[in-house]
Amino acid sequence: MSTTDVKVPCGQAAGERRAAQSVADVHRGELVVDRVFHRYIAGGRPTEVLNDVSFRIDPGHVACVVGPSGCGKSTLLGLAAGLLRPSSGALRWDGAPVAIGRNPHLGMAFQQPGLFPWMSVRENVAIGLRTRGQSRRDARRVADEFLDMVGLADFKDAYPNQLSGGMAQRVGIARALALRPRLLLLDEPFAAVDAFTRLKLQQEFKALLRLDRPTVLFVTHDVPEAIALGDAIVVMTQRPASVQRIIPVSREDRDRASPAYARKLAETLECLGVTSDIQD
Amino acid sequence: MNGPGRLVVRRILLPLAGVACVLAFWQATLSWYRLPPIVLPSPWAVATTLAELVRTVAFWRDVGVSLFEFVCGYLIGVVLGVALGLLMGEWRHFRMAATPAVESLRFVVPFAWIPLTILWFGTSYVGKVLLVAYAVFFVMVVSTTRAVAQVEPTLSRVGTMLGMNPWRLAWQVHLRAAAPMLASAARAAAAIGWIAVVAAEYIGASAGLGLMITNAATSLTTSVVIGGMIVIGIVGAGVSAAIGALSRAWLDYR
Repeated sequence: MSTTDVKVPCGQAAGERRAAQSVADVHRGELVVDRVFHRYIAGGRPTEVLNDVSFRIDPGHVACVVGPSGCGKSTLLGLAAGLLRPSSGALRWDGAPVAIGRNPHLGMAFQQPGLFPWMSVRENVAIGLRTRGQSRRDARRVADEFLDMVGLADFKDAYPNQLSGGMAQRVGIARALALRPRLLLLDEPFAAVDAFTRLKLQQEFKALLRLDRPTVLFVTHDVPEAIALGDAIVVMTQRPASVQRIIPVSREDRDRASPAYARKLAETLECLGVTSDIQD
Repeated sequence: MNGPGRLVVRRILLPLAGVACVLAFWQATLSWYRLPPIVLPSPWAVATTLAELVRTVAFWRDVGVSLFEFVCGYLIGVVLGVALGLLMGEWRHFRMAATPAVESLRFVVPFAWIPLTILWFGTSYVGKVLLVAYAVFFVMVVSTTRAVAQVEPTLSRVGTMLGMNPWRLAWQVHLRAAAPMLASAARAAAAIGWIAVVAAEYIGASAGLGLMITNAATSLTTSVVIGGMIVIGIVGAGVSAAIGALSRAWLDYR
């Protein structure tokens, strides 16, 4: 997400500006969420989940979405993945509306890892490559590579029920990354790992992103994580959620020992309704 | 006690003790009431009759015919039942169209069809095969529909995300995830199917275990009747165990 974009309240203004550009390539690798509303029917009455959400992620940038639990962050990911259809508004990828169903540009790691319990860890990572047309040998080789990267080299032949929650999530991440997606969607991928492993995984994950530079939409509960990984933080309001604020993150802000980091942390937390000094 | 010793106790001694109890009850009943062999022969008399029976070709032909009818009907019923159940699980409109017919037909027990199958197919094996298929089919339709509907929704999303089309998703994810439930349903269906075969043969057949028993009953050779019943039980238990072993071999991932 570019800093210039942050100043413009997203939505119509951005949409009009882009409409003037005629070359489709300009939008390659760009994810636009444009005035999206989403409601679903629960127990016979409609529940508003997203209420006018707009923002944009530039190609190769990482946007971290934070907000109160249950505010619709996962719904937003489902929409970006084409697994759900917005009630109104549009999501655009490469300048075209996100298709419902299969999207070959996409890789996604889910909150519940959703591993196929009847497949070994290796097969779980390889199956996506197989359905996308790679040969059995190539799929296996790539799966092994990515499992090495997430530190599961010794568990390739294990089955999901033999893994801890954190390990299963790492398989889910490896599965998404192995697809070499141009758009990567992550739903609290490090939620089930302990604090220390989480920091390590964040570092490794950053390195992995440098490989392909995908556009990333990253949902998290963890503000320090959002600062560590994001180029911008999209702060959501309570449900029905809209974008409360988009906070840009620069390189300096990521140094945990710096005052800039503390300021960014305080700023984001304040948006979420947490004051920075706890009074006695 | 050491490992192998415990296995002997669990796998051999305990089951034998159960069988011995049943036999003792049987022997005690006929001794207590002084029943004549034509009403209730002794376990020993039945055992002797069975030993003679298994040496005849006719007996094995009857077992073979019953098993053949069962296996044909069972395979047809399972394949069609799972196919229809999968369609109903995957395709909402189809489920809406098919549910009333399935729900009302499945309560028409197979035995209610026996008079019609005799009318249509006589005493040939075709009627029995269809009857077994019918009995098995409905068990499989209902449990497949339910099992497919219960598949963890995240797995469907993962499948779509990985690039599976709806057919592939149904086949590779939904059916596979439902497989353990289908296996236990298939085992229950086998019991119902086997019961259906024998029941149909009791009423009208040109060969099979059911016919063997009704023939013996009309000539008052009670030990053959009871021997036949024991064979039915043993074959049924064997079929069920075989299906259990097959499904374990295919499905276990631990």
